[in-house]
Amino acid sequence: MVTHIKFTLIVLTALGLVACGQDDRSAYGTPTSSIINGTKIYRHSIDGKPTSLDPIKASTIYSNFLVVNIFDTLYSYKYLARPYQLKPNLAAAMPTISEDGLRYEIKLKTNARFHDHPAFDNGQGRAVVASDVVYSIKRSFDPKNNASGAWLWQGKIQGLDDWKTQGADYDVPVAGLQAIDDHTLVIQLTQAYPQLIYSLATGFSGIVPREVVAALGAEFGSKPIGSGPFYLDRFDSETAYLKKNPRFRSEPLDIYFEGFDEAKHGALGIQALHGLSPPFVDQLEINFIKETASRWQSFTKGNEIQYTTVPKDKQNTVLMSRNPIRLHPQITQNYHHSYGIEAGFVYHGFNMQDPTFGHASDPEQDAKNKALRCAIRQVHDWQQKNQAFYFGLGTVFPGIIPPSVPEYDPNLSRDSITTDVAAAKALLAAHGWQTEDLPVFEYHVNGSVLQKQFFEQLRGFLNQLGYPNNRIEYVPYPSFGNFNQAVKNRQVPFFFMGWTLDYPDAENTLQLFYGPNEAPGSNNFNYQNPAFDALFEQSSTMQPSPERTRLYQQMNQMVIDDCVVISGLSRNKIHLWHKNVITFPDREIVGGFHLRYVDVK
Amino acid sequence: MNTWLFIGKKLLEGIPLVLGVTLVSFMLMVHFGPDLTYSLLSKNASPEAINEIRSVLGYDQPFWQRYLHYLSELLRFDFGLSMVKDQPVSTMLQEAMPVSLLLMLPGFVLGNLLALVLASKAAQHRGQWQDKTIMAVAVMGMSISFLIVIIGFQLIFSSSYGLNWFPVRGWQVFDAEGHFSWLAYAKYVTVPTLAIVFVSLGYNTRFYRAVLVEELNKDHVTTARAFGHGPGAIQYKYMLKNALVPITTRVLFSIPLVVISGSLLIESYFGIPGIGMVTYDAIVAGDQPVLKAIVGLTAVLFVAVLTGAEILYRWFDPRIALK
Repeated sequence: MVTHIKFTLIVLTALGLVACGQDDRSAYGTPTSSIINGTKIYRHSIDGKPTSLDPIKASTIYSNFLVVNIFDTLYSYKYLARPYQLKPNLAAAMPTISEDGLRYEIKLKTNARFHDHPAFDNGQGRAVVASDVVYSIKRSFDPKNNASGAWLWQGKIQGLDDWKTQGADYDVPVAGLQAIDDHTLVIQLTQAYPQLIYSLATGFSGIVPREVVAALGAEFGSKPIGSGPFYLDRFDSETAYLKKNPRFRSEPLDIYFEGFDEAKHGALGIQALHGLSPPFVDQLEINFIKETASRWQSFTKGNEIQYTTVPKDKQNTVLMSRNPIRLHPQITQNYHHSYGIEAGFVYHGFNMQDPTFGHASDPEQDAKNKALRCAIRQVHDWQQKNQAFYFGLGTVFPGIIPPSVPEYDPNLSRDSITTDVAAAKALLAAHGWQTEDLPVFEYHVNGSVLQKQFFEQLRGFLNQLGYPNNRIEYVPYPSFGNFNQAVKNRQVPFFFMGWTLDYPDAENTLQLFYGPNEAPGSNNFNYQNPAFDALFEQSSTMQPSPERTRLYQQMNQMVIDDCVVISGLSRNKIHLWHKNVITFPDREIVGGFHLRYVDVK
Repeated sequence: MNTWLFIGKKLLEGIPLVLGVTLVSFMLMVHFGPDLTYSLLSKNASPEAINEIRSVLGYDQPFWQRYLHYLSELLRFDFGLSMVKDQPVSTMLQEAMPVSLLLMLPGFVLGNLLALVLASKAAQHRGQWQDKTIMAVAVMGMSISFLIVIIGFQLIFSSSYGLNWFPVRGWQVFDAEGHFSWLAYAKYVTVPTLAIVFVSLGYNTRFYRAVLVEELNKDHVTTARAFGHGPGAIQYKYMLKNALVPITTRVLFSIPLVVISGSLLIESYFGIPGIGMVTYDAIVAGDQPVLKAIVGLTAVLFVAVLTGAEILYRWFDPRIALK
């Protein structure tokens, strides 16, 4: 008995030690063919879970990732071109826009059909027509639907807001949203809205068939029927199984139109797909894997998931150098890789309605509060945060126009992101702040170990400023919903958040500071600056131009000068995928659009 | 008392328990659970949008109305749609519960049977090296975190860094024709089962040993020995049968946890779509229809188990019925 137990223990311990002691790069499983009995299967992984798959609720990256593969949008982004460029998707061409920018005429492709469903005549998916687009956008304004995307068109399309207040009857037409014929859509705007085409490339604008929505009711979100390249086969808490839409319209891939660059994409095998019609795989498995150890082991096994972003705890294994980013030869030998900056950023913000840190009616107090905000910003060490939490892979930039949008100014002064403790102390002293009268600093967050670590670091920065520990408080919330509730109710004086861009236009971040958008709108800072608002209103109707960029940058400078925000850092993501997969993955603004172009060997 | 009468009485006694559990849990959910309104809020929300969402979620209704609605749902076993996934809760549970059952059952059964065998061995050789070794291994199993065991076993048995014998993640237990495949099942369930057995063995062995050791000193065992019965007969015929009351209690009361709770860690690390993940996602998201269903069903199942346990006690020890 003893011998057996000892033997078992010794074997298990030895196996454990061997497994744990392995160099992380030394034991990659050989990727096995992803074509099983002639069926091409691609297994993707994402680090979170989608919620509803109804396009009007696709507010998370994860839901959007699936939605744009099940549903068609009028526009999408070119597969390979960076910076991101729009292209027609279900639309036959880019829209015809009237000179005043108020009327958009959009022609639809004539060969798109919905997936089959019993709600259709004979159960066969019918052709997608312009009235489906009208119906799909109206759904976002139906109060019964709990939609998350109405903000894209609120106050922008003639008659749409009135349609909602008058009872949201789908048979009542909306003046600004009309199907002229089966394949022509006309949108009439209340004022010029240059971001309209971007909004028609978001998952929120996914086109749904009315009869199926009527048949399924709210259950449509778990049994989605669209006209996209894939249809949903099964969906559970761990994986979504999608199958190729066999009747997806024939659209041969033109890699040069899509932005193919030999230097960047030449080694990925994408050339072999030129002229072929997507989707290229028969089955698509999207695995939702939060646990990084499990994701990495599944990826390196060879016959499970074929794509992963590099988890934080594996970055030392994968990277040889961070600046510039270079991967270990054994990684590049085994896997394809790419990296890119996220379309978004993280930042700390002040609630400008908070009497202690925000605006004050007394000019002297107002200046004092501003000095306090600026001093806190000045002791915030972005480089240290980048090293501690983002493995030095983040890109720190000043202001609120991140590097992922064309309006980013690389020459903008970096003073607002440069740590200067002495200057911060001097600023406080100059405005009469003494250690003993510093106000209590509350750090409100969605509670987690990581957020606590962020807090500890910030507390260290504040200590350098002379802030005593007993006046720095950690205020965690049990869920993001509770935290967001406090923010929207203006109860949070200081917060740490992230923003993911909906489209590659700095307007999407500048609107976070527009006065009328104050909480519960997107202006969580409750920033009120008439000069900023005037510039925002002026630029909001302008098409992209150097003049508009100048206005954007002026607004950016105002936010920096007022010390409303401590910003920002955009994370870089490293993507790895098996060599038997042909793809160029990117889940940023393009969402999951790239999955239709994935092929496997 | 007639057995059927007894069952009826016990089930009636269970009603206040179900009402109490559901009321307290519902109160906690409503007053302290995550408010989904602000998770579902769009990027540029207005106060009207907040009210619309609250109305759709039913948050604007009075507490008692919502609680009575919950009870009616529990009676009908129809909890509507998940607020987060737009999927019928009953479908989610129907899909996830069998998965958890299939996942947990082998580990649960093996963990208990092995523990009984080891505990018998330890009790039989109380104080000797066999007893000490078994207890040392039991303590080791109890001391190592479940998470570490899962990661370690996955690394050893599943990953390309270890033996690479089993899948790291997944639950593809149906073949291409949609038939259940025992081979595939064995492939996916082996490592989770090993992890469950490794962790549960320690607790179970120590508990069963304590129960058996207590029996060992009882008069009837001494009498049996005096009559010349062998150790095997004494162990299984006289000791184990008498120890079945506490053993049954432990086993039966674990069943609701196996059926309803599943194992969150196992499921999330092995990518298995069981009830543990469904519950966890619902808690994090504040998905009240799912939480209500799980809490309600757990309460009902506990009442059923309680009744079942009482019936079994009467069967194992007829003296209980006389009392």
